[in-house]
Amino acid sequence: MTTIDPQAEPALAKPKGMRWESYVHGHHWRNADDEFDAAKLGMWLFLSTEVLLFAGVFVSYAIMRMKYPEAFINGSGYLDVKWGLTNTFVLLASSFTVAWAVRAAQLNQRKVLIANLIFTLLCAVAFFGIKLIFEYIPKWSEGKRPGEWFSYPYAHDPHEHIWWGIYYIATGIHALHVLIGAGLLTWVLVRSGMGKYGPKNYAMVETSGLYWHLVDLVWIFLFPLLYLIH
Amino acid sequence: MTTIDSQHDLAHGGHDHHEGSYLTSRGSIIADIVNWATTVDHKKIGVMYLFAVLFMFFLGGVAALALRIELLDPPRLQVLADGTQAITGLNITPALGADPEDLAQNNLYYNRLFSAHGVIMTFMFLVPSIPASLGNFFLPLLLGAKDVAFPRLNLLSWYIYIAGSIFGLASLLFGGVDTGWTFYTPYSTTTDAEHWRTLSMIMAAFVLGFSSILTGLNFIVTVHKLRAPGMGWFDMPLFVWAVYATSIIQVLATPVIGVTLLLLLIERVLKVGIFDPGMGGDPVLYQHFFWFYSHPVVYVMILPAMGVISEMLSVHARKPIFGYRAIAFSSIGIAAVSFMVWGHHMFTSMGELAATLFSALTFLVAIPTAIKVFNWIATLYKGSIAINTPMLYTLGFLFLFSIGGLTGLPLGALATDLHLHDSYFVVAHFHYVMMGGTVIAFVGAIHHYWPKMFGRMYDERWAQASFWLVFIGFNVTFFTQFFLGTQGMPRRYAGYADEFQLLHQISTYGSWLIGLGFLGHLLTFVTSLVVGPKAPPNPWGGLTLEWEAESPPVEHNFHQEPVVRHGPYDFDRVVPPHCDEKDFPLPDQDEVARVH
Amino acid sequence: MSFVTPITLAQEGPAPIDLGRDQISESSGIWERAFFGSQGFDSAAQASDGLYMLIFWFSTFFFVLLMVLMVYWVIKYRRRPGVPAPVSPSHNTLLEVFWTIVPSSSLLVMFFLGFWTYMERQVASSDALQLEVQGYTWGWTITYPDGTQPTWSTKYASRQNPDGSVTESTQPTPIFVVPENTNIRLRMISSDVIHSFWIPDLRMKMDLMPNRYTGYTFRSPDLPSGEDFSDHWVFCAEYCGNYHSEMAAIMRVVSAAEYRRILTEEFGEKPYVETGEIVWRNQCAICHSVDGKNGTGPTWAGGVFPEGERGLGYTVRFNDGSELVRDEEYIIESIQYPQRRIVEGNYGAMPAFQLSERQLIGVVEYMKTISDRGGELRVEEAEAAIEEGAEASEEDGSDG
Repeated sequence: MTTIDPQAEPALAKPKGMRWESYVHGHHWRNADDEFDAAKLGMWLFLSTEVLLFAGVFVSYAIMRMKYPEAFINGSGYLDVKWGLTNTFVLLASSFTVAWAVRAAQLNQRKVLIANLIFTLLCAVAFFGIKLIFEYIPKWSEGKRPGEWFSYPYAHDPHEHIWWGIYYIATGIHALHVLIGAGLLTWVLVRSGMGKYGPKNYAMVETSGLYWHLVDLVWIFLFPLLYLIH
Repeated sequence: MTTIDSQHDLAHGGHDHHEGSYLTSRGSIIADIVNWATTVDHKKIGVMYLFAVLFMFFLGGVAALALRIELLDPPRLQVLADGTQAITGLNITPALGADPEDLAQNNLYYNRLFSAHGVIMTFMFLVPSIPASLGNFFLPLLLGAKDVAFPRLNLLSWYIYIAGSIFGLASLLFGGVDTGWTFYTPYSTTTDAEHWRTLSMIMAAFVLGFSSILTGLNFIVTVHKLRAPGMGWFDMPLFVWAVYATSIIQVLATPVIGVTLLLLLIERVLKVGIFDPGMGGDPVLYQHFFWFYSHPVVYVMILPAMGVISEMLSVHARKPIFGYRAIAFSSIGIAAVSFMVWGHHMFTSMGELAATLFSALTFLVAIPTAIKVFNWIATLYKGSIAINTPMLYTLGFLFLFSIGGLTGLPLGALATDLHLHDSYFVVAHFHYVMMGGTVIAFVGAIHHYWPKMFGRMYDERWAQASFWLVFIGFNVTFFTQFFLGTQGMPRRYAGYADEFQLLHQISTYGSWLIGLGFLGHLLTFVTSLVVGPKAPPNPWGGLTLEWEAESPPVEHNFHQEPVVRHGPYDFDRVVPPHCDEKDFPLPDQDEVARVH
Repeated sequence: MSFVTPITLAQEGPAPIDLGRDQISESSGIWERAFFGSQGFDSAAQASDGLYMLIFWFSTFFFVLLMVLMVYWVIKYRRRPGVPAPVSPSHNTLLEVFWTIVPSSSLLVMFFLGFWTYMERQVASSDALQLEVQGYTWGWTITYPDGTQPTWSTKYASRQNPDGSVTESTQPTPIFVVPENTNIRLRMISSDVIHSFWIPDLRMKMDLMPNRYTGYTFRSPDLPSGEDFSDHWVFCAEYCGNYHSEMAAIMRVVSAAEYRRILTEEFGEKPYVETGEIVWRNQCAICHSVDGKNGTGPTWAGGVFPEGERGLGYTVRFNDGSELVRDEEYIIESIQYPQRRIVEGNYGAMPAFQLSERQLIGVVEYMKTISDRGGELRVEEAEAAIEEGAEASEEDGSDG
């Protein structure tokens, strides 16, 4: 029978400003590996819930497209593939740098880690900027709005408001996820600056990175559905 | 009870340990409140959930009793308001609505009441009931762990649950909603000019979903990563299997209701036209989305109940559970099939092909469920069966749940469902499953685990008397409703034709018996907390790890990390921890070796 | 505690109503009578009852078997101090396979029986009499193939209050007739939220959707010997709001000759005022009173009330602040396009009603009789108003 020495348990208050070298795993874990595996498993489960959440949006898209194909073809024609593609590359690049950041944390390259995180966050800002300046604001002001607010005078199809509803819901929920992901990465960036992540403790970098990949993946699906299919 | 023996108290309870129990006070009330409010201890979170869900059960139960009073002799809700004022001095008429003479108002009260009953009971009580309270408390103990995998996330789930409940209760306090718990469109997108209450109620269900997802996620990781040394997958207690299956459903189904309710909120506010036919949407799409979650969630409610039933049955019959693997796999089987049967809630609104397909799939669920019941009954064969409150509740569960399961058959068959759909038959059926199944198992399990959670015994006679009141009252209330349904009484009716009155009256009288029974239980619990005798660590002779801990457990659950050396149900081979072989004698070991 | 009858079927209907709860055949068992009370009235309904009883006896057999074993074992193997439980195996593969296969195969039988009976309802025979059913909050409009609509109704929901007084429901229960022994096809649609048309004696219901047609087929029963008609409840089975529980109808089965007589003589043409009053009673009274008391919608009685001016010839204020004197044109617009202008203090709960020209004029004329500023109705003007309405709707279609 394994006996746990009460002295070996971590003190209730951890020292402030603790660096990764002195990281101690949570008291209810047997070792740090178990804790790290659990964090990853938890994140993967959470990502599966996110996929199901977006599945709901995709199903709505499919059903409404089946009902009103004309409205969707017309609506899709209003979108500018150029900006959609740009945003796709922006997110792909950010996915690459966030993966690099995880590797840097594992190898204890703090500067590389921070640089990659900053680049990723810049990509998030660029994504948002493009979305707002070239997509949301002009479309909204032209009256291409969801549902009851739709007031675009040159609509070809009486159900285009549904297309815009789906468009704003899908991209809106995705944008919300970009925001949450950027928030997580900012937190990781701040703590990287404090030297908290290194070979012994990079679970947070890795799980935030996983989340960011999901955000990217969802966009990879949204982009062709909204911009490309005619 | 035979199992309470003062010797155990002397031998174990009186032993002086370094750590205090998790209930030990921090010195002052403020320190205790801060400690409980910020705790990451799964036991404290479990206890807080327990009291919260029991409070919700109380609220939902009051709404149910009021509904039954209306149906005694409609219209009655004004009478109810007058009676409440006479007894308590509280004038609830303004809360109910305006003009008491007005039949429309009476019906509106009724509609708000049944919606309140439904929303509270499903989202705030049944979904979190067993997994969040007993699951939180006992999952780590059953696994021999110190806590769940993510203790802080667990606390976050609890606060999300509170936030969601506040959204819901705020909506109810200011008048409630009349959409029913299903929020069917287009009724839910068009009803009620002052629509913030509807928004708040939908928001409540949305937020509560997050709590459910995070709890499920936490439990899955806990089961994967925190089992005690020596505990393989097939050494896990069946309660753990059930919670594991439940958590899978919670994680995979709840996001869908999340996005559905989000779309519903958007639909109500922005009128985008996904669900609202007035804008070109499809109301049946909402039903598909809603039931894609809400059918699996029925198994979120019943699977943990099946888990605790397996525990209680085996412990109190002192018999290895019959067909351990069959029960474990049937839990997973039910979880898997539950995702493919949602359409059976919509036979009256879908095409022939889909209806046929869903009817066939629905019958599949019956198979693992039947296997479980057969195994439970077979477990009783050649046992050593103690008749105490947990056992009575277990037997009550087998009785009521069998009726609930069997009455699902005519609802799964297409021809009979078209008659019985949305009638009182359905009401009776799901109350037999949800209340006769989940609630009965929950109350039984609270008795079973009470000594462990609070370190006190309860009064057997009072508890058993209360059981009989609940059991008899339940059957009087709901068995009559099968006949109401087959004779043509639709559900969600504030009034009815003459021919239904006698059965409605019987049903209402039964509901009073149930109320009385639960009052008895409440008194038993309160009395136990105040003057109950101290509980030994293992009053029932259980073999699972939680019985190795103190009653109540210490802060970190176990003094030493436990190691699993025997199966959870090897009652014929192992003397239970903290117990004497005199009280729990073992059969001839040669014979045991021969039989197995 | 008074045991007054909560809802009595008013006796002032066109004829005494007997909702035939005693029709179940003598040969059926006590359980069948307890469950259904009345005979299912076509072969599909009887097949459905048969399936129900089959499942019932199957369930009863297994339930009793399990419970007898459970109670017997609990008593036989009750705990005795100091005596260990007898040893027995904790699994038995053969037994477990057996009790998996037996229920599975029984379930297969149930599924197919249910499926066949269900399909019988879905297939319409070519000679079926097609009835159009429109559901709205909270009532039914039934239209016969020639456009006739039933004009009979009764009060289903008169309730006795605790103090002994009786509250008359505003909700009328329409009575529609169908000929005996005929194939009938229902074609159903809702004009607002989802409803469900349940005829318990038929063991069948189907939802009414706002955006598509649904329906089912049945065969009306033979009249019991010696009876002129038999009445059957129709209930709304999908929750739809305040008066959901009063959204009933009565289906009356009559002989073929009587059916033709009723359609031409009883439901046929009547003077405008009478037509209007029937339309009000059957479709409008649930929300619009004629006694000056506002319900879900404004009262139709003309005059000055505490809430303001009401009725034909009086001023109406809309939610957008504009005002208008209610005239014929406005009334017809409100019936056909109720969402165009919402009266102040309301929130646009009214669904659009598709009434015939005759019914529209009838409603306007009826409203004039209950307003002291009614004046003379010029039929030509009302007809012109209807035509304008039709043109306006075409414009709606082009720019919507």
